[in-house]
Amino acid sequence: MQSNVLPRSQRLETLKRLRDFFNAHNSQTLKQAYDAFSLEHSIDEDELEALFNRYFVGPMEPVADPFASVYLDDPQSVMTQSTLHVRSLYETMGFFYPLKNIVPEDHIGVELDAYYQLIYLEEVKNVAYLSELRYYFFHEHIAVWMPQLIERAMHGRSEGDNAILFILNELKSFLIRETTTTRSHE
Amino acid sequence: MSYSKAKVEEILNNTISRRSFLKGLAASGVLSALPGGVLEANEDLNTKIPYSGEKSYQTFRNACPRNCYDTCSIKTYVKDGVMQFIEGATESTYTRGGCCVKGNSYVKRVYSARRLKYPMMQVGGKGSGTWKRISWDQAIDIIAKKLLEMKKEDGTLLGAALTKYSGNFGITHYGIEGMFNSIGYTTRLAGTPCWPAGIDAQNLDMGDMWCNDPEEMKDSKFIILWGVNPAANSIHSMKYIYEAKRKGAKVVVIDPIFTETASKSSQYVQIKTGTDGLLALGMAKIIIDAKLHDQKWLDANTKGYKEYKAYLDKEVKLDDVSNVTGIPLAMIKELALSFAKAKPATIWMGYGMQRHTNGGSMIRAIDALVAVSGNIGKYAGGARYGHLNTWGFNYAALSQAKPEGSVGYSGPEGAKGEFAQVGGEKAAYTDRFLNINKTARELMSAKEPKVRLLWVACKNVFAQDFDRNQLIRAFQQLDLVVVADQFFNETAKWADIVLPVTTQFEEYDVNVSYWHYWLSINEQAIKPLFEIKSDLEIAAMLSKRMNQLQAGSCTFPQSVDTKEMTIKEFNPAIYEQFGIQSWEELKKGPVKAKAVIPFADGKFKTPSGKFELYSDKAQELFGSALPKYLEVRQPYDKFRMTSPHSRWSLHSQFQNLEWMEDFHPEPFVYINPDDAEAKMVSSDDMVAVFNRQGVLRLRAKVTDNVQKGTVLMYEQHYHNSIYNVNELVDDTSSDMGAFKTGAPGVALHDTFVNFKKL
Repeated sequence: MQSNVLPRSQRLETLKRLRDFFNAHNSQTLKQAYDAFSLEHSIDEDELEALFNRYFVGPMEPVADPFASVYLDDPQSVMTQSTLHVRSLYETMGFFYPLKNIVPEDHIGVELDAYYQLIYLEEVKNVAYLSELRYYFFHEHIAVWMPQLIERAMHGRSEGDNAILFILNELKSFLIRETTTTRSHE
Repeated sequence: MSYSKAKVEEILNNTISRRSFLKGLAASGVLSALPGGVLEANEDLNTKIPYSGEKSYQTFRNACPRNCYDTCSIKTYVKDGVMQFIEGATESTYTRGGCCVKGNSYVKRVYSARRLKYPMMQVGGKGSGTWKRISWDQAIDIIAKKLLEMKKEDGTLLGAALTKYSGNFGITHYGIEGMFNSIGYTTRLAGTPCWPAGIDAQNLDMGDMWCNDPEEMKDSKFIILWGVNPAANSIHSMKYIYEAKRKGAKVVVIDPIFTETASKSSQYVQIKTGTDGLLALGMAKIIIDAKLHDQKWLDANTKGYKEYKAYLDKEVKLDDVSNVTGIPLAMIKELALSFAKAKPATIWMGYGMQRHTNGGSMIRAIDALVAVSGNIGKYAGGARYGHLNTWGFNYAALSQAKPEGSVGYSGPEGAKGEFAQVGGEKAAYTDRFLNINKTARELMSAKEPKVRLLWVACKNVFAQDFDRNQLIRAFQQLDLVVVADQFFNETAKWADIVLPVTTQFEEYDVNVSYWHYWLSINEQAIKPLFEIKSDLEIAAMLSKRMNQLQAGSCTFPQSVDTKEMTIKEFNPAIYEQFGIQSWEELKKGPVKAKAVIPFADGKFKTPSGKFELYSDKAQELFGSALPKYLEVRQPYDKFRMTSPHSRWSLHSQFQNLEWMEDFHPEPFVYINPDDAEAKMVSSDDMVAVFNRQGVLRLRAKVTDNVQKGTVLMYEQHYHNSIYNVNELVDDTSSDMGAFKTGAPGVALHDTFVNFKKL
């Protein structure tokens, strides 16, 4: 089991890259986030953005909506009970969310950011106060819906969309590694 | 390592545990240790509040701004900045606490994952599906530079066209037209595909389109619902119809289709499509022959009764009326006489009836029937079609000056549309008006200058306009197509730039109805989601950028607040009409206009001041002073196709929501059993419905709700289907509409098709 756990710095770095990728809001920041993975597959900046938008942004119906609510509550809705549950978690964890009521808290990029900061707190600052909430957040929420997003994106993938495939695999590997580290004792 | 799910949920859900946890959090140094990112450390952590967010609901006043008779007054419940549910406002006796299935889906609509979220540009070309996210500044910069480039090259902005209609009827949304006013003389897709022939007809007859209050129908003794289906499309009106029926009134539905409303009526009369005018003339003749007409009222209040009666006497043969309409003569006589004997009696005319090549003439004939029966200007009577009597706002957002030196069109000026008409001094130039009902061919044929930029707002062109294949060609020849919408639709698919716009819950506005007499304020209940902006904010951003690039090139305010813009729409006359001192009283709930019976004083706004059974204006414009019977368009294929509205959608809105798809997951073509048998088609068979315009493939429903010789397909749009009934509709005009709305309507129920089993 222990062998699946990434070294501390690598764990944080992977998480940060995933966060930055899913939070990218233009072709430049997206390409920077993608290149940070140092993948063998290279892709043009504009092509990457078109792909990213088709999968996760729109304006057409994305291949895989990047919100937990779509997988946990209602396939066509954002800002549902799951979103508000995540809101409550963030607020209990001491987070302030500047985009409250603008971008739902359960956007994949926001959740990866929260998870990154929680890991950072433990690994870099050695503060364990939020560990139990972090475990809960991961196992009861992230690990429930993000695999569904990956599955949906994989299912809707077109041949040649390798850049997205690589990122999805990175996310999948990360989730598997995290899943093996903690369990609820109930 | 492990964790306790129960313990964490105790912290989240138990007041004392959570407070204790938050105190520990503050003391543990967590907040200063968080690295920060999208989420930040909450430096103002309040450990005293037992649960984050607000426990109680905030309520807001809203209104449904869709193109619907009912224009519901809404009360919105918000908790911690999130809409929880809505309900119909109880203060309005019309809405009376309930919304329709579409209104009740508003939370789903606002929080639909399918909403447009960011400005985006289709970098792979129109229809390519290759989109790039751009900032608002980038989007506005591209548009502003294109407009200024066109102005420089053409010497005018007539190459910039606006098409906007009924996606949002909020008064401040006329600021979209205001935005186009503020950049110069431009091209407008003018007219209306909705109700123009009927508007012209009523204006020719009475000088106005002004219906009685629908709430009066509860006291009507006889109600004819003529080509209208309120049980599906104006559900709040049904309670008055039911009440009248309970009190003994006869409710008759005249319709080619056995509708939901017909199933609730006292009597259903199935009429052959497009022959309603002749039935009305025949009924009038029967009433007059039986001396049940109101001669006194006719003498005092009409012009041309003598000529009208002479026409009935000479030209209208009752056997012909029966043969043409398909209704037994005895039934026609009984209907006419019982209608004439009941006082007050009223007729509500639907909009579908005037979507024929003879539509305006049919409305005129029915108006005349109501006049003959003496029910014009009477409480609970009237020839009901619609009204704009409560729309006397300032249209401040609309009224923007042209930039100095603007050059425009010097051709004849006419009406631009049916709603907001702002007067002013006659200018040397005007905007250029193209017929909205022939959008494709007009965009392609406009010259000097040709149209190069099209702005689409509050409208889904590909769903509502005609000749889809030509529309694609028209869009492809444009340099820049901007679509401002809430959802990605087929029009957005052919855009260069899409701009995400607010729902009514994310902005201020004010709303009235074209049917009932209530006024509602629309408060901003929640923040706009994602990067969504209101149409007014978009206009302000465009103005700011254009003025940065070329000072004085746009007169629209460069920053706006939708609340301030809404307040500017009120005036003393509105306050007087609705009996309020200030718009702020509307925060307590909607208010109703003071009761007025249209035309009760006998003053009509026609040239003669009377109800004009004989209209010189009608003679001048449409070649017939009298409401003569005009034959409907002759068939050009085997079956007539009608395409009425569905109760699950409002034009192309709402059907994309999951609830509606649950109720009505796919389109059907409804076929009469005789026709189905001849073509060996059974229910649920796949069929192709086709004509010279195009072809649709869908499942059949065999039902005698539709007449032999007619097929029916609802005007519906699905997010996961290319079905669009307008694929089969050409853009043949109805007889009237140009008089008061700028362009004739479309005879869309005079479409003919064939079908075969697949």
